[in-house]
Amino acid sequence: MIRVENLSKDYGPVRALDAVSFEVGRQQILGFLGPNGAGKSTAMKIITTYLAPTAGKVLVDGIDVTEDPIAVRRRIGYLPETNPLYMDMRADDYLRFCGQARGLRGEDLRRRFDFVVEAAGIGHVLKKQINQLSKGFRQRTGLAQALIHDPPVLILDEPTSGLDPLQIIEIRRLIQELAREKTIIFSTHILSEISSTTDDVIIINNGRAIAKGRIRDLQRDAHRELPVRASLVAPRDAVEDELQQIAGVEHVSVLGEREGHVSVEFRVEGDIVAAQRMVGERAREHGWTVLELGTSEVTLEEVFISLVQRSKSHDGRPAAEAVRAGVSHG
Amino acid sequence: MGNVGIIFRREFRAYFDSSIAYIFMIVFLLLMGGIYMSSFFLAGAADMRGFFGNLPLFNLFFLPAVTMRLWAEDKRIGTMELLMTLPMKAQEIVVGKYLAALAFYAIALAGTLTIPVMISAVGNPDVGAMVSGYLGSLLLGAFYLAVGIFVSGLFKDQIAAFVVALMFCLFFYFAGTPLVVATTDGWISGLGTFLENYVGISGHFDDIQRGVVDVRNVLYFVSMTALFLVLNTLSLEGRKY
Repeated sequence: MIRVENLSKDYGPVRALDAVSFEVGRQQILGFLGPNGAGKSTAMKIITTYLAPTAGKVLVDGIDVTEDPIAVRRRIGYLPETNPLYMDMRADDYLRFCGQARGLRGEDLRRRFDFVVEAAGIGHVLKKQINQLSKGFRQRTGLAQALIHDPPVLILDEPTSGLDPLQIIEIRRLIQELAREKTIIFSTHILSEISSTTDDVIIINNGRAIAKGRIRDLQRDAHRELPVRASLVAPRDAVEDELQQIAGVEHVSVLGEREGHVSVEFRVEGDIVAAQRMVGERAREHGWTVLELGTSEVTLEEVFISLVQRSKSHDGRPAAEAVRAGVSHG
Repeated sequence: MGNVGIIFRREFRAYFDSSIAYIFMIVFLLLMGGIYMSSFFLAGAADMRGFFGNLPLFNLFFLPAVTMRLWAEDKRIGTMELLMTLPMKAQEIVVGKYLAALAFYAIALAGTLTIPVMISAVGNPDVGAMVSGYLGSLLLGAFYLAVGIFVSGLFKDQIAAFVVALMFCLFFYFAGTPLVVATTDGWISGLGTFLENYVGISGHFDDIQRGVVDVRNVLYFVSMTALFLVLNTLSLEGRKY
């Protein structure tokens, strides 16, 4: 549904996006993840035709955004990062204006109006001026605006920013419901946000896509980078010596020694499970008791940090090996 | 309703959704009417020369205030992204916004129609001159407003849009005044006359106001208006890059 190829955007001398490529299939949700200023909004602005790309290509439903922007706009519902509300207007007038501006008339407009009011849960604030609405209701009104013309594609830039936890859950649920029939791209800099809404992510940092794929795969990759911890009832020096002899085990460091047992941490180059098994076998040979052996669950924050560091350690080049499985399977 | 109409309706209502419209109307009518009336009885002439004569100068301040919000506000509050991602052409939005400002000015101008009514009651004025005077005022306003909407598209800040639009209009106003024309002609022969004929407002406006509705004068205002609306559209398209 959306295809982005080598998309770059310069703001004067500053390169905001650098050769970003990805694809989103029909009825798929893609999460845009990255710190503030990473280029998420810029990419969205180009997809929605608000900005023109410096280089590269964006196709929405097969239509090039630079060749027929009006046809692309018809297919897209867009909630920008700055919610585009006319504060002096009443919520219902605002939504009617947006509907009309998107070509809805008469019965169609009434039907869609009723639908989005219901979906966004703003029925009881319709007659209020938008500047009297709370942040949560403003955000919902902005979302209703993006939905009014029943677009097949939704682009939501930080749709949950500034909302309280309850409102965040509601918006997330709405996004998931909408994904049954729509293609959605939404961005966030909050990592837990992604994993509770979608499986597919693209991680952007400094204008580059440093990783894309399923969250589970990225977590597994990051898992490999994490150190293994072991606690053994054994003499410290013997443990250190033994571990260092195991193939693949590197950077053994003793975390602490207490009441006869020693805690160590080490990294594994290669098969992490095999290395763990070896550690267990050695311990049994020596008659040591293993209290703990394994890695901790990887949080998305750790995935993110490991990816950012990896992309930096490659001299700023995009970490090609981090860009594994393509996102599209729609 | 076409796209222009949809934009027009929202923008026109926006004037009256805030207090600016009412303040503007009151100040415009009080000032224009008051200054004219204060000399009306002294002059004792049943015409509106004094009224129309004041307009180019006063509109320098009034009309940039009408147009300053047209784009600057959208840029500031973020609705620019909404407008520019609507399935409409940029020129449709420009014209819709522009017509809203023009209609607003036309209403303010219509509010001064009490003056010709009063003059007709107390004297025997030249109706033709008054009709062409109003036509000229509308054309003059159309030009200032086109400059104003173009300038508003360049700024995020309404005050900046106001001041710069005022400067632009001031240039076109002064370029046609006898003093500037004579002085410029003194420096470079012919340049002052060129300014008067093709750039400055005064000559064209004075002709129309006197009742001389020449095609050249009308064309001057219409083409200047069109020029700035096209520039506005171009600056919006250029913003994307």
